[in-house]
Amino acid sequence: MKTLAENILECKNLVLHYSTRKGVVKAVNDVTFSLQKSESLALVGESGCGKSSLAKAIIRLLPRNIEKYSGQILVNGQDTMTLSEKEFREEIRWKKISMVFQGAMNSLNPVLKVGYQVAEPLLIHEKMKKHKALEKAKEALSIVGIHESFVERYPFELSGGMKQRVVIAMALVTNPSILILDEPTSALDVITQANIMNLLKRLKKERGLSYFFITHDIALSSELADKIAVMYAGEIQEIASADIFYKKATHPYSQKLMASVPTLRIDKKPEFIVGSPPSLINPPSGCKFHPRCTLAFYKCTKESPPLSDLGSGHLVKCWLFEEHKEAERYERRTT
Amino acid sequence: MSSEGYEFTLKSTIKDLLTYKSGIFGALFLILLLAISVYAIVALPYDETVRLWRGEGGVWLENPRNAQPYWVKYLGQNLPETIKRDSTQPELGGTVKIVTPIPQTDMKLARISFTFDFSYDGFPSEINIFFSAKYNGSAPLLNIYWVKPSGTEIRLLTYIPRSQEDKLYLSVNQQAANALSLYLNSVLGKSPSIPLPIEYSLFAVEDSSMNSSATAKPLKGTYRLYIDGTLFGKDSDIDAKLIVYGRVYGMAGTDNQRRDLTIALLWGTPIALAFGLTASATITFLELLLATISGYYGGKIDSVIQRITEIYMILPFLPILIMVSTFYKLDLLVLILVVIALSIFGGGIKSTRALVMQIKEYPYIEAAKAYGASSKRIVFLYIIPKILPPVIPTLIASVPSYVFLEAALAILGLGIPNLPSWGKVINESFNAGALYKGYYYWVLEPAFMLILTALAFSFLGFALDKIVNPKLREV
Amino acid sequence: MAAKDLVKFVAKRAITILIVIIIAAYLTILIANMGGYVDEIMKSEIILSVTTRFQNDPAFKNYPQELRDKLINETIMVEFKRIGLDQPFIIRSFIYLKNGLTLDLGRALFLTSDSGSRMVKNIILERVPQTIMLFTTATLINFFLSLFIGLYLSRHHGSFLDKLFIAGAPTSVIPGWFYGIFLIIIFAAYFNVLPYGGYIDVPPPTTQLDYTLSVLKHMILPLASWIISAFFLGAYSNRTFFLIFSTEDYVEAARAKGVPPRQIETKYILRPSLPPIVTSLALGLVNSWSGAMITETVFNWRGLGLLTYAAISATDTPVIIGVTIIYAYLLGATVLLLDIIYGFIDPRIKMGRTS
Repeated sequence: MKTLAENILECKNLVLHYSTRKGVVKAVNDVTFSLQKSESLALVGESGCGKSSLAKAIIRLLPRNIEKYSGQILVNGQDTMTLSEKEFREEIRWKKISMVFQGAMNSLNPVLKVGYQVAEPLLIHEKMKKHKALEKAKEALSIVGIHESFVERYPFELSGGMKQRVVIAMALVTNPSILILDEPTSALDVITQANIMNLLKRLKKERGLSYFFITHDIALSSELADKIAVMYAGEIQEIASADIFYKKATHPYSQKLMASVPTLRIDKKPEFIVGSPPSLINPPSGCKFHPRCTLAFYKCTKESPPLSDLGSGHLVKCWLFEEHKEAERYERRTT
Repeated sequence: MSSEGYEFTLKSTIKDLLTYKSGIFGALFLILLLAISVYAIVALPYDETVRLWRGEGGVWLENPRNAQPYWVKYLGQNLPETIKRDSTQPELGGTVKIVTPIPQTDMKLARISFTFDFSYDGFPSEINIFFSAKYNGSAPLLNIYWVKPSGTEIRLLTYIPRSQEDKLYLSVNQQAANALSLYLNSVLGKSPSIPLPIEYSLFAVEDSSMNSSATAKPLKGTYRLYIDGTLFGKDSDIDAKLIVYGRVYGMAGTDNQRRDLTIALLWGTPIALAFGLTASATITFLELLLATISGYYGGKIDSVIQRITEIYMILPFLPILIMVSTFYKLDLLVLILVVIALSIFGGGIKSTRALVMQIKEYPYIEAAKAYGASSKRIVFLYIIPKILPPVIPTLIASVPSYVFLEAALAILGLGIPNLPSWGKVINESFNAGALYKGYYYWVLEPAFMLILTALAFSFLGFALDKIVNPKLREV
Repeated sequence: MAAKDLVKFVAKRAITILIVIIIAAYLTILIANMGGYVDEIMKSEIILSVTTRFQNDPAFKNYPQELRDKLINETIMVEFKRIGLDQPFIIRSFIYLKNGLTLDLGRALFLTSDSGSRMVKNIILERVPQTIMLFTTATLINFFLSLFIGLYLSRHHGSFLDKLFIAGAPTSVIPGWFYGIFLIIIFAAYFNVLPYGGYIDVPPPTTQLDYTLSVLKHMILPLASWIISAFFLGAYSNRTFFLIFSTEDYVEAARAKGVPPRQIETKYILRPSLPPIVTSLALGLVNSWSGAMITETVFNWRGLGLLTYAAISATDTPVIIGVTIIYAYLLGATVLLLDIIYGFIDPRIKMGRTS
C-alpha cells in the first residue's frame, strides 16, 4: 500500500464555486485524487466539465466572483489551503507547482521580450541577477528546443508551436516538481502536437517531473498518462491506472469515451454520447451523468453515488458498482 | 475561439435587459417620453402649436406673465392664481351688471360689479380690465372703484375707452397710482419711501408692513371692483372683463410672453426624440455601411474612405454647423440632414472597420466565398448582422448627444424657428434674464426634460452594451 | 535598419496628414463663404449701408445726384477692395488657402483684438491663453482622476464604489456646459458665492495676487462643470478598460507565475494598454483646445470658442480660417507625434509591422 508521503500532490474534497448573473456555477464539486512523484495523471473530460477550473483551483488562480473555495490541497503533505496569499506566492507558485496554460498563444505578454518572460520567475522567486537569470532562460529554451537567440524576440515573432515550447520552458525554469498542463496541445497541428508530447515525455524522464495533464482528447492522454481521471460535471467519475483504464474502464461515461475514439485498424463505427454536457449551475439531481447514461436506474436519479474502491487504486463513482459491492457484502455475510 | 458567437434575439435581449436596474429605468423613462410625444402630437396638432407658440392674436393675453407652476404651493407660499370675472360670462360668478336707461335722454347708467375672494399669501402680478363697448358717437364715461374687505372704498380712476375693444392696464395706470398713493398717505400718515406697485397697494394689509413691498402682506377677504358708467346712445352697451393675474399658472408656469410652458415641454419631447433618434440611427447605419465597404473591399476604396474620415476629423464640426445655420434658416428636417451630412464619416468608422477586418478573415466567410456568394451577399447577410449588435448600444447612447446638440444650437440662438424646443425655451429664458430675476422654473423645467431624455437613452444604452458586448458581461 | 523604416514611415504619414489638412482647410474656406453666397450678402449689405449713409448725411444733402452717386460708388469700391470682394471668390479662396497654410493669417475683416490690432494672428493669440488655461487644466484633471480611480476600481471590482460608478456612468452623457447651467443657477444665482461667468472681476483687481485669485475664482464653475460631466464615465471606462486587460490570459499566467501584484499592474496591465490611453489623452487635449464653444458661451469665457462664434456671426472669413488652420495643424501634429510614440511603445510596430 502506497503511503501518503509518496503522494506529491493530494486533493481532498476540493470545492470551487463561483457566482454569475445566472446563478452559482459549481465548477469543482468535491474532487478527491492523488498524484505520486514522477507520475503523470491525465484528467479527461468534455469541454465545460470543470477541468480548467480544477487546475486553477490547485494553483489558486481564483476568479473574481468566487463563491466557495474549500477542501485540502496537500503538496508534499503540507496543506496549501492554509497558506496566505503571500506565502502561497512565495512558496508554491513556480517553486513547487508550475502551470502551462491552455492557449499559449495568449499566455505571453506581447510587449515584453521572450527572454525576460522566461527569466521572470527566477527574478521573482530566487532574486537572481538579471544576466544570470537570462543565462538560465537561454538554457531552458535550448532544453525545449528553441535557439537561445530568441531571448531577444517578442512573442508575436514566434509560431504557435514555438510559443508553446517557450511556455513550457517558462514553467520549468525554476525546477518545480509538479507541472500542471492545461490542454497544452489543443491549439496546435498534429505534427507539432507530437513534437510537444515527445518533449514532455523526455522531460519527465530526465527530470522526474510529475504531470497533471488536462485534455479532452482521450487518445492523446494515452501518450503520457500513468493514471487517468475522468471528470464530468465538476466531479471525478473514475480514476484508474492507465493499464486498467484503457482495458477495462468501468464507468459508463468512461466506456462511452473510449468507444468514441476512432481506431485505425478495426472497422468500428465511432460511437457518440447522446445529449450535451449538463449545466454547472443547475446540474442534474443524483448522479450527474444519469440523463445520458444508458444504464441508469431509479437510484441514479435520486442520490449521488460515492466513489467505490474496486481495488488497486481504481475508483468509480457509479451506483452500479456500489450495488455490486453491496451484493457482495451481503453475500459474504449470509454465507 | 472568440466569444463572438452570441446570437441575439429581440426577446432574449429584452429579458436580459430587465435584469439590469439601469435597463429598467431607461426603458421606463423611454416609454414615458414616447407617451408624452404621442400625446403632444395628438392633443396639440402641429399647426395649432405653431400658431399658439407664435402668440398670434393675443391668444395668451389672459395668462399671467412669468408665472410659476401651480404646484409650488406645496413647497411654500400659497401664491395667487388668476381670477377672472366677465360680465359676458355670468357663469364665472361674482358678476353683476345692471344697465338702466336715464329717462328722457338717450343715456344710460351702467354698473358692473365684480366680486371675488382673495385668500392667498402673495400679491397678484398684474391687473387688467378689458372693455367691450358698443357705441355710435361718444364712448362711455367710466368711473372705477375698488372696495377692500374692510369696506373701504377707493375711487381709482375715470376712464374713457378709446375704441370698442379696449384694454385698461390697471397696474401701470397713473391715475390709479395717484389715487392709491393719496389713500395710503391718509391711512399710514406718510407715503412709503419706495412707492408700492399698484397690486400691492390694492391688496395689502393696512399697517406698517405696507412700508415696503418686501414686508407687505395681502389682506385676505372679499374684494369688489365696480364700474359706474354713463353710456351715450340708445343702443350703447358696455361689457367688461376683469383679470386679476396670479403668480401661478398651469403645470409648468408661463414665460415672459405669457405662453403656457406645458406646450413647450410637451412638444419639445417629439422634437427631441425625432431629432436624436433620426440623427443617431441614420448616422450609425451609414457609418456602419461605409465601414463595412471600407473594411471588406479594401484597396483604393478603403484608402479613399479613410482619408475622407480623417478630413472629417479635422473639420471643426460645431463651427461648420453654426456657419450653415447662420447662413440658412433651418427647419427640423434640414437641420437633421445637415448634421447627418457632417457626421457620417466620423470616428466610429475606424473602430467598426477594425472589427470588419477581423471578421473578414473568419473561416465561414471563406466558405461563403467558396460556394460562390457574391460580395454583396456576404456583406449584407454575413458581415453586417455580425457587427450590428455591438453598434446598437452606441446608437442608443448617442441619442442624447444629438438632443443636446439641438439644445446647444437653440441656446446659441440658431434653433428651429417655429417650434418650441427645450433648448429654445432655455435660450429665451437666458435672454430674458431668468436667472437674475429668479425665474428658475423657466430654466429648470426644460433642463429637467433634457436630463430625463438623456438619462433614459443613456441608461438603456449602457445596459444594452453590457448585454451585447460579451467581454463586459461578467466584468 | 529599424531607424530607416521609422523615418520612411513618419515621412509617409506626415505627407498624408498634410494633404488631409489642405483639403480640410479648403473645405472650411468654401463653407465659411457658402461657396460665394456670403460674398453676395456682404456686397449687398455694403451697398445698402453706404447708400443709406450718404442719403442721410446732412453734409451731402446739397450735392447734386450724380456727384453723390459717384461718391457712393467710389466708397463702395473702396470697401469692396478692403475686404477683397473685387476679385471673384474662387481666386480669393485659393489665396486664403495658401496664406492660411503658411500661417500668413493676414488681417481680419471686421473683428479686432482687445489691444486694437487687426492682425488675425494677434486676435487669435490673445484668446489662446484663456482657452488653454481653462480647458487644458480640465482635460488633465479629468485624465488623471479617471486613470487613478479607474485603476482603483478595477482592483476593487464588485465593491460598492465600483457599483456606484457603474450606475453613475450614464450621467456623463450630459455635456459639461449643461451642468454648467445648473452650477450657475445654484452657486451664482441662488447662493451668490461664485460669479456668473467671465474671466475676471470687473473692475480687475490691481495686485498680482488678487488678480490671480480672481481668475481662479472664475475658473471654478467651468472647471467643475467639465469635471462633473466626465467624472463617472471616465472612471468607468478606464476601469472597464483595465479590467478587460486584466482578464487577458497572459495576466493570469503572470499571476500563476507568482509575479507580485504591483508588477502585474505595471508590466502586464498598464504597459500593453498604454497606447490607447496616450491616444485618448493627446486627442482629448487637442479637442479641448478647439475651445468648447458652448461652454465658453454659457460662461462668457473669452477664449477661442467665443472668438470662433463671433467670427462666424460677423462672417469674418480670415479669422475663421485662422482658427481652423491652427487647430488643424495642432491635430495633425498630435496624430503624427502619436504615431511616432507608438513606434516606441509597441514593439509590434517598431519591428515594421502595422498593428
